[in-house]
Amino acid sequence: MQPFNIRPDQLAEEMYDYSRKLGKGVENLLNAEKIDTGVTPKVEVYREDKLRLYRYESPADVVQSSVPTLIVYALVNRPYMTDIQENRSTVRNLLAAGQDVYLIDWGYPDEADRAMTMDDYINGYLNRCVDVIRKRHKLDKINILGICQGGAFSLCYTSLHPDKVKNLITMVTPVDFQTPDNMLSAWVQQMDVDLLIDTLGNVPGELLNWTFLSLKPFSLTGQKYLSMVDVLEDEDKLKNFLRMEKWIFDSPDQAGETFRQFVKDFYQKNGFLEGGVTIGDRPVDLRNVTCPVLNIYAEQDHLVPPDSSRALRNLTGSKDYTELSFPGGHIGIYVSGKAQKQVPPAIGKWLDERS
Amino acid sequence: MSESAFWNEDWMKTQQKYWETWTDMSRQAMGMKQPVKSPLESAMEHWWQGLSPGANDMTRDFMNKMMEQTQSYFRMAEGYYKNAGHSNDWMDTANRTVADLQKLFSGNMEGIFGNTESAGDDALHKMMAFWEMPMDNWQRMISSLSLMPGDLLRNMPHTGDLDRFLSAPGLGYTREEERQYKQLTQRVVEYQRCLGEYMGFFSNLGMLSANRLKEKIDALIDEGNQVDSARGLYDLWVGSSEEVYGEQVMTPEYAKIHGRLVNSLMALKHKLGQLVDEALGGMNMPTRRELRTLQDRLQESRRESKAMHAEIELLKEQMIELRSLATNKQQTAPTKRSSTPKKKAVAKKKAAAKKN
Repeated sequence: MQPFNIRPDQLAEEMYDYSRKLGKGVENLLNAEKIDTGVTPKVEVYREDKLRLYRYESPADVVQSSVPTLIVYALVNRPYMTDIQENRSTVRNLLAAGQDVYLIDWGYPDEADRAMTMDDYINGYLNRCVDVIRKRHKLDKINILGICQGGAFSLCYTSLHPDKVKNLITMVTPVDFQTPDNMLSAWVQQMDVDLLIDTLGNVPGELLNWTFLSLKPFSLTGQKYLSMVDVLEDEDKLKNFLRMEKWIFDSPDQAGETFRQFVKDFYQKNGFLEGGVTIGDRPVDLRNVTCPVLNIYAEQDHLVPPDSSRALRNLTGSKDYTELSFPGGHIGIYVSGKAQKQVPPAIGKWLDERS
Repeated sequence: MSESAFWNEDWMKTQQKYWETWTDMSRQAMGMKQPVKSPLESAMEHWWQGLSPGANDMTRDFMNKMMEQTQSYFRMAEGYYKNAGHSNDWMDTANRTVADLQKLFSGNMEGIFGNTESAGDDALHKMMAFWEMPMDNWQRMISSLSLMPGDLLRNMPHTGDLDRFLSAPGLGYTREEERQYKQLTQRVVEYQRCLGEYMGFFSNLGMLSANRLKEKIDALIDEGNQVDSARGLYDLWVGSSEEVYGEQVMTPEYAKIHGRLVNSLMALKHKLGQLVDEALGGMNMPTRRELRTLQDRLQESRRESKAMHAEIELLKEQMIELRSLATNKQQTAPTKRSSTPKKKAVAKKKAAAKKN
């Protein structure tokens, strides 16, 4: 059998069809209204500098858990990924599962925030947000759900403040930063991070975008746009795509000193495994994490390989450790239809069993 | 679909041109006539250039990316089509397409980057531009970090005896200034060297991808599968490129090349920053260095201030608790006193009852 069966008339028809879709789709694109993100109603309950702490409004017919859950998102990209649209919202589905959900929005650091350290973020902002929630609910401990880098922050926080965390959930969280399949890690090993931060101050979002897109340049900066032609005619699908596009390129700069410590301590020194991470004046030791832990990872994660997350298994001091694998990627775990059905309900059930 | 101007006129003209183009190409495939130079792309570009001023920034950005990919897609179809003109044997066509790619990638990538005008004539040659994507992304990122366009540094001369000249010590009263500028130029040279190394790495990957494409085509034959569209061919090419890229960028060699590229750029920018600071200082204006010192001190003060604020809040809470305890004591004390006689009275009553 011949490998190709492309007749000239077929090829011409295909090109014409593509052009027709593109032409029609462009009109939808030009008419596209402002893209909304962060769809679930929420109330700001605390603010400090650029940080905002939100509490999401629960549906009236759902009985809320008495222990609230604080979502700690990464400093990279924006937290509205967890609530990107009505039918793709981890937050909404957590609420539906009976959880009382809070979320930290770190804001957009600028040059004046360059000197912010991990200590400022973890023992400062994060700790104060936890205290605000504890006080509001008159509780000693609350639940924390850390996502990606926010998961690493949550592990550090729980290790340093175990008396304030009832249950810890980590989602697509890097723990072993030097697994053989970790492309990001391979790249930063030879980078002079001190020179980078001393030169740039903050790390520009553009540099991070370039790095992430460079993981799969042909798919992420090329093929994806070609595939879009097939959905340009569908206004809803187009909007979904544009929402994701907005999120991907909505990259806050990273506070320089925090980036310096994060890359050096974790990517270059693999601090969770090797030790040596100090935040403020206290060492981070995952054996101090004794609360129940639910570790969720994505099987096709190209940013945080599954082995990187699974490394948590033998590191904590928890006697109640659970893993949940999801058959998808780093982003799909929040936005795919399958994830919506599986992940938040599983989190809700796991938390209910421990509340 | 509304009757907008672009749909009625420009778009229909574009479509007409497509059909004419494909007719030309079909003729050429049958050995009848040469097609016009890159007609699909120029028609598409012409159409989008007319339309883009009316689009908002996000739409324009999105469509620009889409148009870039459309060009790659069309180039692939065009390149394939041209090869189909030489033979009716599809296997032969596939082999020719892969062989052309291999030939192109065996050339010097730097030469192609530097001579895009002449390269632009050949559809397959342009198809290779697909492999410029990682480089292109880098250039865009550099441009966003600098006042200079990303490719400015690439085109500066950086070979020959420049190194020797730059290594010569400065002389006289302006010695220090001369040294600073020589250091800057040395860093430009170093960055260019690292950029060349980076580009060279991708040039090799292009060749490997062409080979991988051939392997995938062979696998199709073994599996009894077929590609029946230009899009299928494009996807096969993307898959081959991504696979090879993924393998190669995980090598220690690439980590070093990548590290050297980023480090050399940062070293250059760092030096530039120092020179800018010196110029600003000379004009009695605040420098970046001073600003950063202030930022560090301010952050330290903020830390202390927040810690003190937290302590004050804690003390306030403790005060409130203490006050509340004291108030409770005061309130409960008379109650106890008043209860004592009652107890005594009850005891007396009980004793009286026993006696009785």
